[in-house]
Amino acid sequence: MANSLDPAATADDVKRINALLPVKAKILRITQETPDVKLFSISTLDEQLPFPVSPGQLVMLSVFGMGEAIFAASAGENCLEVAVKRVGILTEALHEAKAGQTMGIRGPYGNGFSLDIFQGRNLLFIAGGIGLAPVRSLIKHVLNHRKDFGHLQLIGGFRSPKDLVFKRELTEIWPVSEDFDVAITVDKAEEDWRGHVGYVPDLVKKLKPQLDETACILCGPPVMLKNTFNVLEELAFSPENIYTTLEMRMKCGIGQCGRCNIGSCYVCLDGPVFSLAQLRALPDEY
Amino acid sequence: MKTLNKISLNSALEIFASYAPLYVPAGNETFSGFVRYSTGLEVRLDKNTKLGPKSLLFPRVENLYSYSNHGKDTEISPVPKEIEPTIIFGVRSCDLQAIVCLDDVFLSQTSRGGINDYNYRIRRGNAIIVALGCLEADGDCFCQSMGVDPSEHEQADLQLFDLGESFGVESHTAKGLNLSRLLENSGLLAEKKVAKPRPASFALTVDAQGITHKLQKMFDHSLWDELGAKCLNCGVCTYVCPACHCFDISVCAKDGCNGSTIRHWDSCMFSQYTEMAGGHNPRPGKKEKVRQRFLHKLRYFPERYGKFLCTGCGRCVALCPVNLDITEVIRRVKEAEIDG
Repeated sequence: MANSLDPAATADDVKRINALLPVKAKILRITQETPDVKLFSISTLDEQLPFPVSPGQLVMLSVFGMGEAIFAASAGENCLEVAVKRVGILTEALHEAKAGQTMGIRGPYGNGFSLDIFQGRNLLFIAGGIGLAPVRSLIKHVLNHRKDFGHLQLIGGFRSPKDLVFKRELTEIWPVSEDFDVAITVDKAEEDWRGHVGYVPDLVKKLKPQLDETACILCGPPVMLKNTFNVLEELAFSPENIYTTLEMRMKCGIGQCGRCNIGSCYVCLDGPVFSLAQLRALPDEY
Repeated sequence: MKTLNKISLNSALEIFASYAPLYVPAGNETFSGFVRYSTGLEVRLDKNTKLGPKSLLFPRVENLYSYSNHGKDTEISPVPKEIEPTIIFGVRSCDLQAIVCLDDVFLSQTSRGGINDYNYRIRRGNAIIVALGCLEADGDCFCQSMGVDPSEHEQADLQLFDLGESFGVESHTAKGLNLSRLLENSGLLAEKKVAKPRPASFALTVDAQGITHKLQKMFDHSLWDELGAKCLNCGVCTYVCPACHCFDISVCAKDGCNGSTIRHWDSCMFSQYTEMAGGHNPRPGKKEKVRQRFLHKLRYFPERYGKFLCTGCGRCVALCPVNLDITEVIRRVKEAEIDG
């Protein structure tokens, strides 16, 4: 029978049979990133990569009995890494989960970043809070193929110093990587904080990143995105050279459940990566 | 044309029902829909049903899979789907056009990507659609205005025409031909020289020509404030719509360990439809929700799939508690003044 599932079915088999069925996976590792963000490493039950994802793509994670939600994923060696901020019922259940627990995963969904467009160019990464997660998956790819890209710059913003996600990479690894400038700002500093204080758009304005041959990749909450778009355009970045990855509430991931549309585009199918030029041609509804 | 005398309708339905599960229009003035036929059931063909046949292909609620948690491990089992053929009898052109829209969504008949929906594909592939052409328009019907021919639909497997004393019978597909042969073998069909009947004129008409193009310039128009203020977000329009396809996926827990994951109809009118964990909502208010509903039907769906997501069945017009009439919306959009 075509609709009975072999326990050894791969993600591809499942997708062919029923795109809405998750494959079983397990939590390999959990890293506490900040007080409300954990990084989950998710593998198949026999500790293999569930399926390949490219930077920017999405996966649907399920906690059986609680529900499903969509997340940006980053491919590790034998697992997918998903950073989860505790904000709702499902993310709460994920935060309660222990390593080894079985969960469901399906995907990947959407188009990731077009890596060939960035080839040979300087890259300016701008991330707000947990928005660093999809940006980080691109940064990891870039650092693994360092010769293919030019100068790198990251401007990251967080609520407070204790909210720095991927802290080791942000403060120890990336700043000492070849030709990689990292600037971090926090909305609210504590006494021992020596970095910038303030919002991301203001820091971008202050740092005046170089334009030449540069593509800008942003991810963060909508209010940060919209304000930073304006600053980048003031600095004469063209909308064609500004890319972002959006998140919306999603149920199916395959353009059918209806809710993640911006105009006639479905973020799950046509996104989640859009250039600002593409977004400007769509209704302002994200 | 082959004809079936109306006196023999019950015999024909008995023959269909013994071939495959048969669903027919039935009910009363208050409620009617497509129900499983059994001997003695009164079939209602005088006017279209209050609810269309959508739920036979895309159920209001369906199990996707069940789960069973044991400690750290979980077993998941997909719910097996029946794959026997089903006959849907008496489908009107508007509702069949809506099925064509659902095909676009769930069978991804577009170059813009997507994946077949497994459950829909099985049900649709096994459905045999017997369509019935309309002669008279109900007060709220406007299918002709939306480009639908009320008298027949090319996607029917078997098309019936109301000829007064009898039905004209025309098969369009092999599945339809099978049904037609069943009737023929029982001696229920006669051959008559008759012309296809044409429907009477519609009371409700609207000129929808060029509406998609006009709406591309009206996202920020004040019309949406006005319409949004009127709407109650009750969702009846999306519930009765034969073409609305939005769904939610939820958990239906039996106890702490066992339960199932279900898919069920959802509505763009509801407050949590686009609300994200953390509270951000790209369509927070009534204005944005109402705008989404009309733009989806009249602009976004045509942009993506080349056809309206409204087929003029008139159910939302009849049932909206505040008379938010889509034909009136189309008229207002056509009359609206826009910059540029």
